[in-house]
Amino acid sequence: MAGVVKAFGEVTAVDKVDLTVSPGTLAALLGPNGAGKTTLVRIIATLTRPDAGLVRVLGYDVAAHPAQVRARIGLTGQYAGLDEGLRGRDNLVLIGRLAGLQRRHACQRAAELAGTFGLTDAVDRAVRTYSGGMRRRLDLAASLMTRPALLVLDEPTTGLDPASRQKLWAVLAELRAEGTTMLLTTQYLEEADRFADVVHVLHRGRIIASGTAAQLKARVGRQVAEIRLDDPALAPAAVHALARRLSLPPGEIRTESGVGQLTLTAPDGTATLLAAAAALAADKITVADLGLRLPSLDEAFLALTGAAVSQPRSRR
Amino acid sequence: MTAALSHRVARDSSLIAGRQLRVLRMNPARLIYPLVQPLVLLVLFVSVLGNLAVTRQAAAGSYREFLIPGIIIQNAALTAPTTGLALLRDAGSGLADRFRSLPMSRAAVLIGRLASDAMIFAVQAVLLLCAAGLLGFRVRAGLPGLAAIVAVAVAFGLSVAVASAWLALLINDAETAERVLFFPAIAIAFVSSAFAPVGELAGWMQPIARANPVTAAAGLVRSLANEGPAVFPALELGCWVAGLLLVPGILAVRQWQAPS
Repeated sequence: MAGVVKAFGEVTAVDKVDLTVSPGTLAALLGPNGAGKTTLVRIIATLTRPDAGLVRVLGYDVAAHPAQVRARIGLTGQYAGLDEGLRGRDNLVLIGRLAGLQRRHACQRAAELAGTFGLTDAVDRAVRTYSGGMRRRLDLAASLMTRPALLVLDEPTTGLDPASRQKLWAVLAELRAEGTTMLLTTQYLEEADRFADVVHVLHRGRIIASGTAAQLKARVGRQVAEIRLDDPALAPAAVHALARRLSLPPGEIRTESGVGQLTLTAPDGTATLLAAAAALAADKITVADLGLRLPSLDEAFLALTGAAVSQPRSRR
Repeated sequence: MTAALSHRVARDSSLIAGRQLRVLRMNPARLIYPLVQPLVLLVLFVSVLGNLAVTRQAAAGSYREFLIPGIIIQNAALTAPTTGLALLRDAGSGLADRFRSLPMSRAAVLIGRLASDAMIFAVQAVLLLCAAGLLGFRVRAGLPGLAAIVAVAVAFGLSVAVASAWLALLINDAETAERVLFFPAIAIAFVSSAFAPVGELAGWMQPIARANPVTAAAGLVRSLANEGPAVFPALELGCWVAGLLLVPGILAVRQWQAPS
């Protein structure tokens, strides 16, 4: 897709996004709530029409040939696309048949997928009785009835307990091994990190970083030095001393008010740490503890989005 | 192309209708209200009005004969909004996104819903006719007459149901739609010849009542019951049904698939 824009009233949900997913890969759209992930997914799945830009899915323009696109993709939305009043099996068969399968094929495929997804014992019960994890798995199975060339998943693991999340990921890993192209959205960096071939970080409707998880981490993956002062009241003086002697902009040094803890990026590792210790010693500021550590996932994400405090915005 | 398309519409519609019927089969409690409602309406109206409104009628029996066709049609008008509400409930669910992202016929969602609702309308009409029979209501034309009355109730009910579907999707909020849809249903049921001949209504109501499809439908049911002249009311109702199925039908399907 190229130059895709979608606004809802005043809010620009998707702002000039260019995105390509290579066949056979798993791409992750990573972003906080309101970043525009769901809107992008809905545009790809022909559910939302973009205001501007070109979107081609498997060679078909979504605006000109939505039916061709629909015939080739599978969508697992944020809310399960299932009929609660029907049995699991009926849901799969209904969706398969509406997607164009013959009754016999739909029944076969439903049984097969129920097995793959560990739902064989549950498919003859009403979906209403399913747990959240079972529902997600059935929903994913429904998207796979026709073996889509592209599978689009909108936050497939949000709201699942760790065990259900692991199960779902096992299934997705299997699909990837079979060569299904997948695009999924997630709020969890860890998830994108572990499973995606390419990660696109979406923030306020724009893709602000793309690359493999390793590349993204390398971009923000400098170590940080953590310094705890003996006297928390000296924190402002310490920031001043570090800024002056290491010629750092004061914004680069974060302080945790009250506890006298300072955090700064340490591009030169131990050398930065030693320089910081010397700087503080020169100003006679005593240190209780100091050390180096890798940035947490949250810090990496915040560094990429460049906004520690992102304003809440409406979804989509 | 056209043949393939209409085949697809028919197939997908029957799948959707099958889905609805399966849900009913698995949740038979959902049938209680639609099946009890007509009987309660019948007993209430016949008990309250049946013996009261005899002033200008020769006998209570003949008012009953006038009233019961009115109740059959009124019941269909009051049931019709459930079609719109059910469709709206579907539209807001994840299932709607699933349907919209499938290469299925867009019209099937509405047509399938109507097909399964047609059965409800038919069963309600049959129940009403059976109960009315116990109250002494007779259809002179016998079985063909009864079948024709059921067909009229179904056709009328479906046409109002389509209008309710369009309105519900237009309103796009279940709580508002629930209030908004039942109100016109009640209004068209009362400002008509369902309970009194048009000439007996308040003056300002009469032109509205004369144009009201409820009047045409109730009149047709009366003619079918008494072997009266049926051609003109049948034509009038036919126009209403065709118009309501077509225009709000197309608008409802468009509204359903409208990408946001």
